[in-house]
Parts: sequence; structure tokens; C-alpha cells
Amino acid sequence: MQAVNSFVAAYLKKKGFKEAEQLLEDLHSKDSAAPIDFHNDPDLAKFIHHFSQSEDEVARYQDGYSKLRSWTYSSLDLYKHELLRVLYPVFIHSFMDLVAKGHLQEARTFFNAFHEDHQLMHSRDLQKLEGVLSQSHLEEMEFARSLRQNKVNVKICQYSYDLLLQYLHKTQSSAMLGVINEHINFQATSGQPGSISDDIEVVTLIGSCQDAANQINQKEIHWGLLEDSLEERSEKEGGLLSDSEKTEGENKEGDAEESKKRSAEGGKQGSSTKKLKKDKAVNATAKSTRLEAKTTSSAPRVKPELTLPIMSTEVEQSILEDLRNRVQLSSIALPSVSFYTFLDTHNGLNCSSISHDGSLVAGGFSDSSLKVWDTAKLGQQTGGATLQGENDSTSSEHVVRPNGVKRSYTLFQGHSGPVYSATFSPLGDFILSSSADTTIRLWSTKLNANLVCYKGHNYPVWDVQFSPVGHYFASASHDRTARIWAMDRIQPLRVMAGHLSDVDCVQWHANCNYIATGSSDRTVRLWDVQSGECVRIFIGHRSMILSLAMSPDGRYMASGDEDGTIMTWDLSSGRCVTPLMGHTSCVWTLAFSCEGTLLASGSADCTVKLWDVTTSTKAPRNEEKSGNPNRLRSLKTLPTKSTPVYSLQFSRRNLLFAAGVLSKKV
Amino acid sequence: MSIVAKETIEVIAQSIGINNLSDDAALSLAPDVEYRMREIMQEAIQCMRHSRRTILTTDDVDGALNLRNVEPVYGFTSGGPLQFKRAIGHRDLFYIDDRDVDLKEVIEAPLPKAPLDTGVACHWLAIEGVQPAIPENAPVGVIAAPSNGNTHEQKDELPVDIRLPVKHVLSRELQLYFDKITELTLRKSDSALFKEALVSLATDSGLHPLVPYFTFFVADEVSRGLNDYSLLFALMRIVWSLLQNPHIHIEPYLHQLMPSVVTCLVSKKLGNRIADNHWELRDFTAKLVALICKRFGHVYNTLQTRLTKTLLNALLDPKRALTQHYGAIQGLAALGPNVVRLLILPNLEPYLRLLEPELLLEKQKNEMKRYEAWRVYGALLRAAGQGIYERLKIFPPLPSPPGHTIWKSKEKVVTAVPNKRKASMEPLEDEPALKKIATDGPIGSLALVTTLAPSGQNDAGQPSSSEKKTANRVGKDGQTLKKSAILNQIWKDDLNSGHTLVTLLELLGEGILSFIPSPEISATAAIVCALLSKAIDLKL
Repeated sequence: MQAVNSFVAAYLKKKGFKEAEQLLEDLHSKDSAAPIDFHNDPDLAKFIHHFSQSEDEVARYQDGYSKLRSWTYSSLDLYKHELLRVLYPVFIHSFMDLVAKGHLQEARTFFNAFHEDHQLMHSRDLQKLEGVLSQSHLEEMEFARSLRQNKVNVKICQYSYDLLLQYLHKTQSSAMLGVINEHINFQATSGQPGSISDDIEVVTLIGSCQDAANQINQKEIHWGLLEDSLEERSEKEGGLLSDSEKTEGENKEGDAEESKKRSAEGGKQGSSTKKLKKDKAVNATAKSTRLEAKTTSSAPRVKPELTLPIMSTEVEQSILEDLRNRVQLSSIALPSVSFYTFLDTHNGLNCSSISHDGSLVAGGFSDSSLKVWDTAKLGQQTGGATLQGENDSTSSEHVVRPNGVKRSYTLFQGHSGPVYSATFSPLGDFILSSSADTTIRLWSTKLNANLVCYKGHNYPVWDVQFSPVGHYFASASHDRTARIWAMDRIQPLRVMAGHLSDVDCVQWHANCNYIATGSSDRTVRLWDVQSGECVRIFIGHRSMILSLAMSPDGRYMASGDEDGTIMTWDLSSGRCVTPLMGHTSCVWTLAFSCEGTLLASGSADCTVKLWDVTTSTKAPRNEEKSGNPNRLRSLKTLPTKSTPVYSLQFSRRNLLFAAGVLSKKV
Repeated sequence: MSIVAKETIEVIAQSIGINNLSDDAALSLAPDVEYRMREIMQEAIQCMRHSRRTILTTDDVDGALNLRNVEPVYGFTSGGPLQFKRAIGHRDLFYIDDRDVDLKEVIEAPLPKAPLDTGVACHWLAIEGVQPAIPENAPVGVIAAPSNGNTHEQKDELPVDIRLPVKHVLSRELQLYFDKITELTLRKSDSALFKEALVSLATDSGLHPLVPYFTFFVADEVSRGLNDYSLLFALMRIVWSLLQNPHIHIEPYLHQLMPSVVTCLVSKKLGNRIADNHWELRDFTAKLVALICKRFGHVYNTLQTRLTKTLLNALLDPKRALTQHYGAIQGLAALGPNVVRLLILPNLEPYLRLLEPELLLEKQKNEMKRYEAWRVYGALLRAAGQGIYERLKIFPPLPSPPGHTIWKSKEKVVTAVPNKRKASMEPLEDEPALKKIATDGPIGSLALVTTLAPSGQNDAGQPSSSEKKTANRVGKDGQTLKKSAILNQIWKDDLNSGHTLVTLLELLGEGILSFIPSPEISATAAIVCALLSKAIDLKL
């Protein structure tokens, strides 16, 4: 009792609370008759004890951290990198503890003293945290809040763990012990310490619980292609027909089967003469399609979960025609690239989009306008840009603009804010555009008019994408949601919520049952369109995700970020197959070639790069982790003339279209 | 503690009319202001990324403010990135240079040109993975070995990089192009089309594969066509254009080009008709040589020494024709004042002695020869004059000493000189007049000296060199010692140039004075006068 009293008195004196001291003394003299039993109230004692310590708490954090840091740096090389992993979470949580306890000045000095250690790996997080200057900011900032609420998983080998515990016990640095206990969840593994690159989770400290992400990634997904797709049909036909040279009976059977399928579809197939013609053509190109069949036939087939729009016969015909004429691309056969350069945009072009056949190019501008160019009218040289004469118009490349009086493009006006994204329907008859005015607008390229205005998002819509079959589309917005829409409804069909920050880009899976979204929270998520649930979280990017692409076989996905890193992901396992390094600036766009052998990427560093995806995805599976991780390779870098590449699009015949703005260097 | 200082908050508060903001309020507002600012910048970066840009603009910040339902900051929109200037005296303080614009001016100004409308151009970035060499594409660095199927097949198993011998494949288009150009050069080098061709050679990006062919063509034709003046000129123009082309890597072919270029400079005979203005060709080629030395001098460090040696040999060999001497002088002069000072000036005196008989009507009866000699003399005069001009130009403007009387008389000289220049330059083309001047050259210079001499004597109140005087004066004026030391050095240099000038004056007559820039005259004239008077004293 006496001890406590003197303690309190001393404390008050130290703090300069004269009145309180006086009061206490008065209290003493009064209460000596009926003393409160301080001893029997351990909580209070503890509280007081704690309180008296609080001013050197700051020092304890700073001291504890710097000691832990120097201990870690001087630890054994073998275990050092594992122990270093612990430092970062300890650092940010110590900082946030200091802020939360109101030692703002000290928190700032603490931050400045040690943040350079982590600058390399976590510069963006640090940038965000640097601004946190009061308790209220901690609560307000999504990132900080989720960090505070969740524990960080650190994978560490048993011995390192023991080392760390030993150290903490020996030094008695309770502050560090507290932080580590409170915020870090150790997963001690027996055996040797892992390699540095092993654990991607170290790289990105995502606010959301890692366990939850792991759990989500356990869910089953059906990444296979749609049953009865046109590709499949043409493969089948090709296969059957080439076989038919040997066995006629089988051919008949196949034919019958096929026609049965067709009649089931609605009896809309063309007349038999037409089919005969087609069959002949198929026969001619059977070899090439069969080759392709080999690569894709392994993919399982799934049923569509959405009711898909019905395709007219003519369209079907033209697509089949395209499929037959498709150029086979591989590491030895690189595609031809036709480049559309936007000139005189006066810094106003925000996005561009190319229709699937390359006949239309759209640009969304910051002055709220959407402009569409018909490439057939661009001048003589477009004869080369269209699909027919791919190789015979390389000379005479100078641009003959239509006479200056008439505009060379169709102007679509209707938005009231910068247009951030535009997308063509698969047949090129519709365009969707999304804007900062929170709306998405549907335009008809046939009527040159606005058809529908979709309102639903509350903040700028960053991205909009038509589904591979048309009719449905997905949008991504600053309001942290992605939404699924159908052209004939003005309300969204699904709202996908879950990202911790803006949803920056969206992409459909080849079978239309899933969409992928990339976000500023540096994760990519895969959502089930039917249920609206998140089925995969892909963690590994270090900065905002800007572009996504799905492989045509539905198995892989590529995502590009602000730093120029491209990652390829295996959808079924949710793991990163390989990061593709090479770009030095934002990857604005990604595109898989039609048979999925090549990946093209366009970046702000004024290059188009072609990557061999077959080596990056298939080889490691065969060798199973035995080889070096950098098996994949950049096949070719195509530099442009100071033109950042905004969009890429493979036509069905595997001609690559690219678009960008000529930017003069200042 | 935050990057926003308390004082800043107070200033802002005052600007919106809150004068008595308490310290505590300012202190707690400061961190929040910083946080909000960071928040807005983060949103602005989002907007920037979605506008597919890598440079943040004011529009992005406005967009971010809009997102937060805050009124945008008006008045900062601009088409491009803002130009910041560094505040003088502060290392990390920047500001936007924002001029006051007079409304009247804006209204009265003619309408600016309407900006061009957005357009789309289309080109092939690659054809089956190979980039065609067209102006629309970024220049392709070096000739790569044509890709071969075999190597790729091997690559599928192991990334073995087999280098095939470089097979040089010239595309059909390039062949056609080459044929057209050579034909134009040979046949119609004075047509407008040839000019277009030169522009194309200077700008087109895909021409690199043709460079060896062009060098060979030039070398071949120069050796064959020494009699064809227009052809030679056309060839030199082609070389010039090739050198201008930023996409061409011409270095490896320089050693093949140089002999033909030097030939066009110092050949005895260029063209076979009298009407052929081979002087012009030599002048042009001299410029070309200088360009080559300037561009590649640092890569080929022996280039200039070898070149100057050749030229100097040509100049100092009395057996060579005067036309060759002319070319050599022009070539050396084009290489810059230093070359002139080091190589021409020391040889000036003996050479002039050699040249003198050729110049005079009495001694050289051949009209043509004499004309040539005068051309050479003119070139020499120009080279020496330019040398001395450059030399004098580098002197910083000196604090002008207060000797007004002197400077006035100097001005007289200055005004006198331009007239003389006219008189001395025109005769270069016009022989009789020139003869006259030349014959009374010594007298002319004497006359000049007499005009100068009095000023020198005026000055000679203290007859020592004016250099000392000025230095003393400067010292008296309270300048720091260091400055006077620098001044001394400058004066020393100046004195040297003065000496050179005097020698030149002696050798070439007053024609040289026209090359001395007028402000410099005032700076150097004092010494020159002093020296001249000395020289004249000696002579007399």
C-alpha cells in the first residue's frame, strides 16, 4: 500500500500534477482511517504500474526494434532472410502502435529512422503508412485497419523460430514481444529454411486474412471451355473428316451426331449444300485444325451457367471461316502486328479499343467523347490492315487522311466525364464505354447512336468488358465493386464486392462462368458469375494491377501491374506460374493469341513484347520444380516510336492489332 | 512533425479570415492536412493511371478532388505537364512560372491556329515477328542475322545460341531505292527530285543496310568522275545527307568515305570546264570534313590528326597547285580557330612569301593563275581572320577603363574599319580594284597606323603598357585580388592575341581588322595600339 502510494505520488510529482498531488495527500490523510485495499485490486496496481511506464514506452519500441534489427542483421546467414521477414511486420505494427497510443512525434521519428530497410520491398505500403498521423487516420484508412485487425502469417523454419524466441526472452524486450505476439502468426516448419523467393506472402502484406484467402482458393472451379463451342465443333469436324479418309462409316456417324447436335440447338443450321461446301473447306485445312485440336482437346468441357445468346448462322459461318484461316503461332512463327497510332490527341486519349476483326478502332477521351474510326476508311494502307492481304502492302505506308473538312471518325457524345474504357462486342456492332460520370453507355456502331445508359455504380467506372459471347458485360469501379450486366437490363445482375480498394480492371473467363478483377489492393480475384462469390484470390503483385488476360483454353490468366511485372496464374491452383519480367513501366494491356501459345503485352515503355507461354506454363509442370523458375522467355520486343501501347487485340486469324498514342517527348 | 508546418496552417487560416487560430488547433490540423493531401494525391494517381499516363497532371488532381466531392482548384489546367522552375537560392523549392497576362493583349492577339484534329494512322509494327524498316517504326539498331528455322528448333530443347555468319539480305524495296538514288545522282542531280532524295537520305530510318553500298558508290564515282563537277557536288551532298541521318550508323564506313571526301577538297582539278565553280565545291566539302571531325572526332581520335596532316602537307608543298592549297586552307579553317592558330598562323609568313609573286600583276602574267592566287589569299585572310575573331570573342567583357578620350578615338577606328572592309572584301572578286589595294596595302596599313598612333600617344601619358595600367586601376577600384589575377591572365591572353593580331596585320594588311568584332576592338585596341606603335617605332 505504502509502496503504491509513494509510487503514485512520485509519478504525479514527476509529471508536474501539483494539484493532483495535493489532492492525493489530502486523500491520504482522510482515508487513512478507511483505506481502500489497493493490494487486493491487482488490476489497478497493474494499471498504475503501466501508466508510470508509459513515457518510456516510446523508447522501448525504438530501442527494442533497433536491437531486434541489429540482432537480425548479425544472425547466421542461413537463417537471416527468414528472420528479416519478421522485421517488416514488427516495424509497421510498432509504428501503428505508437500512433495509436498518441506518440505522434515519436512515431514519425521511428518511421523515418527505420523505413529505409523496407523501402525496396514495400515502398508502396510505406508510402501509404507514412501519411498516417493520428489515431483517427488509422481507423479511416482501409489498409491500416485491415492490417491491425488481422495477423500476419510468417513461415519460418523451426530453428529460426527458436532463435527468435530465445532472443526475445533473453533481452526481455516486452514491447517487441508484445507486437510479435499480437500481430504475427508463426508457422514453424521443420527442416531447412526456405529460399528467399519461396514465399510470396512475404512480399505482399495483404490486409485480408491469409487463411481466408487460402480457404477461398480451396474452392473448386471449372476452368474448362464451354461445351459445344465453335472451336470444338470445327476441331471435331476436322478430326472426323480426316479420319473419314480411312473409315467411311465413322464419318457418317459423326455427321449424324453433329447434325443431331445442331438440331437440338434450334434447327437453325444452314442448308445441306452450304454444309457440304464447308466440309470441303474443312477438309482442306483439316491438318491445321487437327494440330490445334491436339493442344486444346485435353481441356475439360463445362456447361454454361448463363443463358447464352444465340448466334446467327452467318456469324457462325464467318467465325468458322476465320478459324480455318487462322495462322498457327508459336515461338517460331511470330504474329504480324498492325499498329494504329493516334495522332494529335493533345494528351486527351484515355483508352482505346480495337474490334475483334480490327475493322474499328475506338478511343475514349478525357473531354467525355468517344471516337470511332473505321480502319477501312483510313486510307490506302488499310487494305493491308484488314485480314485479306496480310503481307502485300508493307510499302507505301504514308497516311492519306480523308479531306480535312469532314471528320475521319464517328463522334459519340453523351458522357459527362472522362471516358476510361471502351469495349467492342464480339461482332463489332456495339460499343460500351465507361466514364468518370459513373455511367456505362451502350452505343450502336450501325446506327451511330447511344442506345442505353447503365447507372449503378456510385463512382467512376474504370473498366468495362464484353463477355466473349456478347450480351453480358462486366464493369469495375472506384466504388470497390465489380458488376455484371446484361445488355437488356438497366440494373446490374450481380455485384461483386470484396476488394479492399478500387477495382481497376476486369476480364471474362473464356467460358463466361467467371470474371477476374484486378485491384489497387494488389490482388486479383476470380468471381463466379452465377453465385457472385469470390472463388480465387491471387496474391503476388507489388503494385496496382492494370491489365488482365485469360488464356483461350481457360486454364491460365495473366495480369500486368504498374511496375511492369506480368504474372501468369494457374486458375485451378491459384498459384503464380511464373512472373514475366521485362517491362520497365506500366503494362497497359495483355492479350493471348487465339490458340494460347503466345502472350502479347503492351506497356508505357513504348514496347510490345511477345512471350512464349507454352514454355512458361507447360515446361515447369513436366519438370515439376526441378528447373530454374525463369524458363519462360520473352520471344521478341517490338519497340514503337515513342508510342505507349494502350491496347492489343488478336484477331480470330491471329493477326495482332495494337493501338497507342504518339507522345512527343518534352 | 508533419511535413505541413504549423505556420502554414496559420497562414492559410489567415487567408480565409481566421486571425486568432489557437496554436493547439493549428498543431492538430497540420497532420490532418498532410493526411488529406496524401489521400488526394493517391486518388490523383489512380486517375492518372486510368488515363493511361505516367505523368501526373492538374486534371488528375481535379479528378481526385471531384471523387472526394471537393470543388476542384480552378485556374491550373494546362494542356501539358507544368513547367516548374527552381527558386534561386533554394535547393528544393520550386514554383510555376505564371506570368501576368494582359487581357488586352490576349484579345488583340490573332487567333491561334486551331489544333489538329485527332487522327489514326496505321502501319505494320511487325510482319511475322520482324519489324519492317519504315519511318513509322523505331529505328532498328544493327543488322541482325536473319532468323533461321534451324536455330529455333534447337532452341526448343536447349537455349543454345548459334551465331550464323551474317547474311546480308537486301530487300527488293531497298534495292529499288538504291538504284533510283544512284540514277538521280548520275543523271539529274540538279532536279527537284534529287533534293527530295537528299531529304529522304537524311531522314529515313530504314536505310542502314544501304550504307555500305552508298559508300562504295561514292568512292567509286569520285575516283571515276573527277572531271564531272556536278556529279562530284551531288556525291558530296549525298555524303552530307547520310551524315545527317540520325538512324544511320555510319562510323564503320568512314574510312572508306574519307579518301573520296578529301579528294574533293584538295584535288588539283575538279571539273573540266572553266565555268565549274569548284571553289564552291571545295568550300562545301570543307564544311563536310569539319562536320565529320566534329561528329566522330571523339570516337576516332586519330581522325583529325590524320586529316590535318594530309591538309597541311598539301598546303606546305610548294609544288602543289594553288587550288590544292585553297582546299587545304579551307579544310583547316573549317576545323576551327584552334587548328588555324596552331597550324596556319605559324606557316603564314613563309607561305605568304611564296604566294606574293603569284599575286602581283608584274610577276604572274597568267590571268587564271593570278585569280587562283587571289582566291588563296582570300581564303588565308578569312581563315586567319576567323581564327583571331574567335580568339577575341572568348574574352569576357572587361570593365571599361574610364579613359574616354581614348575610346572615342577608338570608335573612330571602328567606324573607319567597316568601310575598309567593304573595300577589301569586294576586290576579292574584282581583280583590278584588289590589285590597287594590294599594291598600296602597306600604305593603307600605314595610314591606319597613323590614325591609331595618336591615340596610342594620348594614352602614352604613362608610356608603359596599358595592361598594367588597367590592372592597377582595377585594383584601385577596390576589386578583389583574385579578380585582378584573373584579369592579369586575361590580359596576358589578350596580349598574346594582340601579338598575333599585330603579326597578322603586318602580314595581311588591314583586311584582317574587319574580322575583329567591334566591342572587342574597344577592349583590345588599347594593346594593339600600344603594340602597333612599338612595332612601328621599330620599323621606322
